[in-house]
Order: sequence, then structure tokens, then C-alpha cells
Amino acid sequence: MFFTIFKKSLILVLFFGFITAINAQSDYEKTQNFKNKYASLEQKIKDAITLEEVDALVESIAAFKNEFADHKALLDKTLYPDNFSSAIEKLEKAAELRKGDFTQIVDLQTEVGTLKTALTELNDQNASLLVQIKDLQFSQKKDQATINSLNRLVASLKANIKERDELVKGIVDSLLQEFTSAPSSLNDAEKTAIFKKVETGNLFYNVERTISDNIQFMKVTSLTADDLSDMKEQYKEFSKTWRQIGPKLSQIYLNQANRARQIAGIDELFRQWNFRINNEIWSSINQAFREKNITLMNFKNGDDFTESITTFIDDEVKNLGVKRSSESKETFYTFTDSVWFQQVKPNWVPILIENNLLTEAQKDTIETRFAQWKEKVDPGGFAGYWIYIAIAAAAIVLVLIAFMFISRNKKNRTVAEIAPKEND
Amino acid sequence: MKSKAFFLSLILLGTAACSSIVLQPADYSWPIENVLKVDDLGFVSETRYTFRINVKNLFNEEFKDSTSFKGKELRIIRDAKGYYYATGNEFKNVYVLMTQENGMKVENIIPVSQAGLKSPVMNQKNNSIELIDNGLKTYFTNKGIEGK
Repeated sequence: MFFTIFKKSLILVLFFGFITAINAQSDYEKTQNFKNKYASLEQKIKDAITLEEVDALVESIAAFKNEFADHKALLDKTLYPDNFSSAIEKLEKAAELRKGDFTQIVDLQTEVGTLKTALTELNDQNASLLVQIKDLQFSQKKDQATINSLNRLVASLKANIKERDELVKGIVDSLLQEFTSAPSSLNDAEKTAIFKKVETGNLFYNVERTISDNIQFMKVTSLTADDLSDMKEQYKEFSKTWRQIGPKLSQIYLNQANRARQIAGIDELFRQWNFRINNEIWSSINQAFREKNITLMNFKNGDDFTESITTFIDDEVKNLGVKRSSESKETFYTFTDSVWFQQVKPNWVPILIENNLLTEAQKDTIETRFAQWKEKVDPGGFAGYWIYIAIAAAAIVLVLIAFMFISRNKKNRTVAEIAPKEND
Repeated sequence: MKSKAFFLSLILLGTAACSSIVLQPADYSWPIENVLKVDDLGFVSETRYTFRINVKNLFNEEFKDSTSFKGKELRIIRDAKGYYYATGNEFKNVYVLMTQENGMKVENIIPVSQAGLKSPVMNQKNNSIELIDNGLKTYFTNKGIEGK
């Protein structure tokens, strides 16, 4: 009997001792425990790579809140400058935001999927159009129907390339947004999301195709100043975006040698595209002179261009007296009036200056040489004007003298008429 | 008579101007203790309440060894009156400290364990500080252990 009572008492003592031991916890430890679990949840939210993971974390946050609800008063004091409620709210908000990221990624993946189909169709169409254009260019048949057909094909190709470029640019832009919204160093989840987008959108292939099709398009068609200006603008925008995402993509694909090579290849393609556009601009300008039988030394940059024109003018001045005067004058007026002032200056010079292919100073140098050239070729040109001005000035002076003479006569006559009346 | 009254009012005015201004009541208590690592130079730094103090003398007093502070932790808590209580592993005492110009002065030493504390923690309670070590709870103020 005594033994049973003793045993029960012992159990009770042990039980209460255990309870006391549980309660005998440091407030500091409780706070540290809360902080550690909080930090762990925060990290898990950041590292989550699926929507399901975030959903599970939302439940963990609710459990965490319940676990520490009894210590709210203590935590309100110790979580300075936060308190228990605001700390939990922050966690819940972080989870909600992360959920939003995944919803957006799912939407973007769907969007990219649709774009991919459209892109594949456009790529195929463009390839076929390029072949047709080349066939027609090499065909012996050059009748009006063929030319019309060629023009139609070129117009479709141009529209298609533009549409496809916009689609690819859309993918690149959305990637850029993701990169700029992400912190400077991407975590694994962010890297995976970008990796998926790049692969789903077949980004590398499409960027390569965009550039090479534009280059091909320039090869098979003759472009106007406006076309080339648009293309240059497009190149600048596209390459600027690529320069922003290229290095970051290189980071993501650091361990994939073939992808790293592809990224470097795309950089090179951008350089070629720019080179080709510049070349096309200079060729078109040269073509404008050639069409008027003016042959200039070849030029591919602003220095060469200025040099080529000044050399041409120097040669023309040297040849004065060797060639017939009328011939020299005709060359001068064709060069300046028909080509420079009518075509090159209004159509090409603004593009050249805007794209830093020619400087204002170089343009001024060329135009100063025109004035010097004119003085040699047609010195009467300016003198003739002076004669007209002198004649006009003389005529004005004569009219003034005549007017003064007439008014003086009138006055004298009036005085003579009044004088006899006064004598009366 | 008039001059006496004048001098009396001067004395009264002077007394009023010299009396010290006291702001009361105040609550200096920290909600939880702080566990601070002693650095190689013997300093502990508290970031939330921003102070830095050299505690070598405290360890020297406790362990009679001038290098005993190295790698140790010091647990500190402050009560509502503004007294600091410091102790740590293997300490036999809790030190009651009060700030003074450019330092802290030990105001009281409270013996709490003959063998030295094993894993002490201190909590802020209503009118005292709670010390828990090995499940044993002791309550004290700056004057000493309560109930003694």
C-alpha cells in the first residue's frame, strides 16, 4: 500500500518536474528560436521553384504563427523594430509575391509557346520567300510580270521579317525585364525560370535567324534611305537589349560550352549586321553618284568619304583647261545640285550624322570645298549676281534723286505764286 | 525689514534654481537578456542598445585569471531601474552593474552557485530578474536574491 502511494507520488513529482523543465526556457532562446525558424521560412520562400512548394510554405507559415502565438507578448517586445504580427505579415506577403512570380511565369510560358509556333511559321515562310526572290533575280525572264512578282515577294518578305523581329524582340525584352527585376546575382530558382524561358522560346536560334535573315534581306534587295534608317534603328535597339542580357545569359550557361559558343557567335552576328547596314548605306550613296556617271574612290567610312570627295574635286580643279569648260561646269552642277543637294544631303547625310558615320565638321569640309570648286569652275556665277545687285541699287538711287528733284520744283512754284499777293 | 525680505526672496530664488531636475518614473528594462561574445581584446558590443564595454576585469574577478575571457560568452540583461546583470557559464555569481562616466561599476555581487552555473539564462520578470540554471530558478534584484 505504502509502496503504491510512494510510486504514484514519484510519478507526479517527475511529471511536474518535467513540466517545470519545459517552462524553464530562456526568453532569449525563444526569441532566437523564432528568428531562426523565420529566417528558414524566408529562405525557403526565395528558393521555391514551383507554385506547389509555395502553397506548402503558406501552410507552414500558418503553423509557425500558431506555434509562437503564446509568446506574442514577448516577441512584440523583442522583435524590434517589428512585432509578432508584422513579422508574420511580412512572411505571408513574401509568399504571396512569390506565388505571383510563378503565376506570371506560367502565363509567360504559355505566351512564349504561342510565339514559338508563330515564329516557326514565319521562319519557314521567310526562307521560302528568300529562295523565290533569288530564283527570280537569276531568271532570264525580266518582263513586267516577273518584276511585279519580285516586288510583291520582297514586300511580303519585308513584312514577315518585321513581324518575326518584333516577336523575337518581345521574348528578349521579357527576359530583360526578368533580369532587371532580379537581384544582381540570380538564385537557382531564378536561373531555372530564365533557363526554361530561353529554351522554350528557342531564343538563341531565333536571335540568330533574325540577324541572318536581315543580312540576307539586305543582300537580295535594294533598300531606300528610309529602309536602312529603320533597319539601323532596329539594330541599335536589338543590340542594346542583347548587350544587357548577353553577359547574364553567359553566366547562366557558364557550364555549357556549346551554349557559351552560341552566345559569342550571336555577338559576332550583331557585329556583322551592323557592318552590313553601314556598308549598304555607303554603297547606296556611291550608287547615287555612279548613276550620274560620277566615279568616286571607294569609301566605307566618314573619313574615306570626305577624302574621296575632296580628291574628286581636286582632280576636277586640276583638269580645268584640260577638259572643256562646259564639261567641267556640267560635272560641277551634276555633282553638287543633282547628287549632293538633291539626294545625298537630304536623304543620307542625316542618317550618316545620326549614326556617327559622318561628323558635322566633315560635312562642312565637303561643302566648303564646293564653294572653292565653284569659284574655279564658274567664277562668273557670283559676279553675275553682283551686277544685278549693282543695277538694282543704281535704279533705286535714280528714283530717289528724281523724286527729290520733283518735290523741290513744286515748292519753288508755290512760293512764286504766293509772293505777288503779299505785295498787293 | 524691507532689506530682510529682499534677501530672503533672493535665497529662495537661488535655492529653486539650484535644485536638481529629476525625470521619473523610468523603465530601463530589456525584454530579454543578451548573449554577447567577448572579443580578443575583452570587449562585448551590444548593437540594439548600442554600447561597447571591456569586461576583462569582470572575468578576472570571477575566475582570478586575466585571460579567462577569451572565447567566452557574457549574458547581460537590464532591469527597469537601470541595473545591468551579467553572468555566464561557470560563473558562481551574478554581477550587478550600474553605468558611470565612461564605464560600469559593480554595485553588487550575488552568489548563485557554489559549483558554477552550467547553462544559465536570465529572463525579465515583473519586479525582478529570473535566473534559470539546470531547471532551477532564482529571482533577484540589484539588492540580492529575493526572499533571503
